[in-house]
Amino acid sequence: MHRRHAYPLLLFPFLLALLLPAAPVTGAETTDSLRELQASARERALHDDRYWEILLHYRRGWFGRESLVDDRRFFLSPTGKKDPASELAATLAGFFREPTRKETVNEEEEQPHPRCRFPARFEWLKQRLSIDASRLPEVSCGEFDNAILQINPKSASLIFASAHMNAPASMFGHTLLRIDSAYRSPLLSYAVNYAATIDRRDNGLVYAFKGIFGLYPGYYSILPYYEKVKEYANMDQRDLWEYRLNLTEEEVRRMVLHTWELQGIFSDYFFFDENCSYDLLFLLEAARPAVSLTDRKGAWVIPIDTLKGVLNANLVEDAVFRPSQARQIRHATSLLDGEKRGLTRAVIDGTLPPEDLLALDISREDKVRILDIASEYTQLRYTQMKLPKEEFQKRFVGMLGTRSRMEGAAPPAPPIPMPERPESGHTASRGSLSAGVRDRKFFQEISYRPAYHELLDPESGFTEGSQIEFAAATLRYYPKDEKLRLQRLDVINIFSAAARDEFFRPVSWKIRAGIAAKEFASGKDGTVYTISPGGGFASKSRFFGLTYLLLETELDYSRGYEKDYAAGVGLSMGTLKKITGSWKVLAQARYIAGLLGDTRRGQEFSATLRQGVPLSRYGSLFFDLERTVSPGIRNTEAKVSWNFYF
Amino acid sequence: MKKLLLIVVLVVFIAPTAFAAGAGVARHNTGCGLGTMLFGVNADNSSLLQAFQATTNGTSGNQTFGISSGTSECDQPKKFVRNERLNEFVRANLDDLAKNIAFGKGETLNTLAELMDVPQAERELFSRKLQAHFRDIFPDANVEYAHVVDTILSVSSRG
Repeated sequence: MHRRHAYPLLLFPFLLALLLPAAPVTGAETTDSLRELQASARERALHDDRYWEILLHYRRGWFGRESLVDDRRFFLSPTGKKDPASELAATLAGFFREPTRKETVNEEEEQPHPRCRFPARFEWLKQRLSIDASRLPEVSCGEFDNAILQINPKSASLIFASAHMNAPASMFGHTLLRIDSAYRSPLLSYAVNYAATIDRRDNGLVYAFKGIFGLYPGYYSILPYYEKVKEYANMDQRDLWEYRLNLTEEEVRRMVLHTWELQGIFSDYFFFDENCSYDLLFLLEAARPAVSLTDRKGAWVIPIDTLKGVLNANLVEDAVFRPSQARQIRHATSLLDGEKRGLTRAVIDGTLPPEDLLALDISREDKVRILDIASEYTQLRYTQMKLPKEEFQKRFVGMLGTRSRMEGAAPPAPPIPMPERPESGHTASRGSLSAGVRDRKFFQEISYRPAYHELLDPESGFTEGSQIEFAAATLRYYPKDEKLRLQRLDVINIFSAAARDEFFRPVSWKIRAGIAAKEFASGKDGTVYTISPGGGFASKSRFFGLTYLLLETELDYSRGYEKDYAAGVGLSMGTLKKITGSWKVLAQARYIAGLLGDTRRGQEFSATLRQGVPLSRYGSLFFDLERTVSPGIRNTEAKVSWNFYF
Repeated sequence: MKKLLLIVVLVVFIAPTAFAAGAGVARHNTGCGLGTMLFGVNADNSSLLQAFQATTNGTSGNQTFGISSGTSECDQPKKFVRNERLNEFVRANLDDLAKNIAFGKGETLNTLAELMDVPQAERELFSRKLQAHFRDIFPDANVEYAHVVDTILSVSSRG
């Protein structure tokens, strides 16, 4: 990290002030004014003021207030995390403290004076208590002043990163704040981000565990926005939505002051609630305390809810769509005919040198388009580490050199079709009431899924072929035998069908882990614990829709099996097709052959036909048909579900 | 036979963990030439990891307040009155800048023009000049940002 150094010359007078006995403020005077101010603050109960609570991230709980910040350096009082009043008194004392020599010199690595560390607190207290600045010891905050100068805050935007098409988890989205300056180009703005700092040595399970239980520290960061664009829009292939906020310059400045206070300060990062999205809300509240965003209602916070909250608080002026580089390439290639696509591919693969393309008998416009796409694609391959650096540099410069000889810019092309705005999507929680027949036996079901989206849910604002569900539970009741049971509990159920074409070759994959009720041939019902991952391919055609083929494995544990388990491998094949704009049909066939354990009962064939019809943003209907065949058992089931999203 | 089957099962179990497209890996922007992005990938980029990664948006870098990214590790441009903002921008966006200059348009190119105070009315001429001199600005694969800044400045000031 590079930090600006303070200007030693400016500091000279303050050094003098420290050394000379006739300093402008004497110790006794300082102590008196400090006592006065502390008393006045106490009297007016400033520590109960909403702004103080915002600045210190205090939340009211069962046992009084506690700050969500876990870093001790954020508090000047040793009991500051739980005691707003003592923190306020200690903060005032900090402001009145003579700077130590190290603070005055403001060397790197050293802790600056509290007034430089906590400019938002200082400004607010100074104003509320009418602190006379001349009674304070003189302090210079070179690093801070420089940062403000550099950031030059004028306005702000909320940035929402939407889903990567082959990473269903990214459907949760991600939010950042962008501080816009006097520059017209948003690339020169700064992005404020809150993220967990992970330990790269951790494996997936440890990662998940630590993420959920707050064992990773979360840090705020400020980085140039162009770095974030490269990270999200180019490398991760995620579209960015930039929501311009109607904050005034003064409000944005306050937000930056508070962001500064959080520099290098950690809070325990909790995947479900105190996450990337939630913690940014404090910054918005610091800007405009009149809006209340951090009083969360549910047990978790999903970035899209943050966005909706900010929209509901009337903080947004308008939205700008910044398509990912992959989306731009897809769009550009979709405008080419088969021959030109082939040529593009040849230039990318290096089988057709760029100069040779110029010699071909095709129009100048086509040559320009082909070279533009090939260069973009080559860059994308490099950022995805599919091309070594030397190879990239050589090819990239070669293509661009040839391209630059075709004077002028590419001819205007039809604009990229804008997807539905992310906030248009259904909410994450879904409740369902279902009725159906299984082998002539009538049943009713009630289901609840806290998060997030499945293939048949209304697609507006989500990514086609992407599904991620957590803790989806279904209870089933058979009135005939008055039997209520847990039919299914999917701890996690992820499915990603991403279409391949000449340019993009993503791998489709799935993983399901959960519990399901199963009938065994003995006539007894059992509970089966299942984990089933799979991987394969998908392609898209106008007629068949999104078609996929996956190689799957399944590991089942149940008392009903011989040796208590069954492990198998098999195939699943299906297609997801939109009949009309929103009516979706999913047809799937799946066969698992038993390999280990109870190989006989582990064998299963199933065919399903499912349909989803949205009723509104808040409701949908599903129609499911399923036929399963295992040795000795055949079942047929039909079911209608009414889903409501909340 | 059973062992073989077990291996098959294990492979298929583990395979999806290798599929997952990278998300949320640590990024460090280093270097002075083209392809300045260097990525440190997580040791285990599995599906499950990925399932959670998108929400923790984990980073493992310690660069949290990068108000200024600096260009100190690179050779410095010679001709110009030092404009740290311009230097940083060019260094960090060299690939996109090369692309935009060759294409004759783009956001990175517009941003460069703004940083150089090129008046709106002269932007088109500016783009055309740079495009015409692409091979001087980016003579070879190993070009470094200092050369790019110097050449852009001399090309754009020429008539």
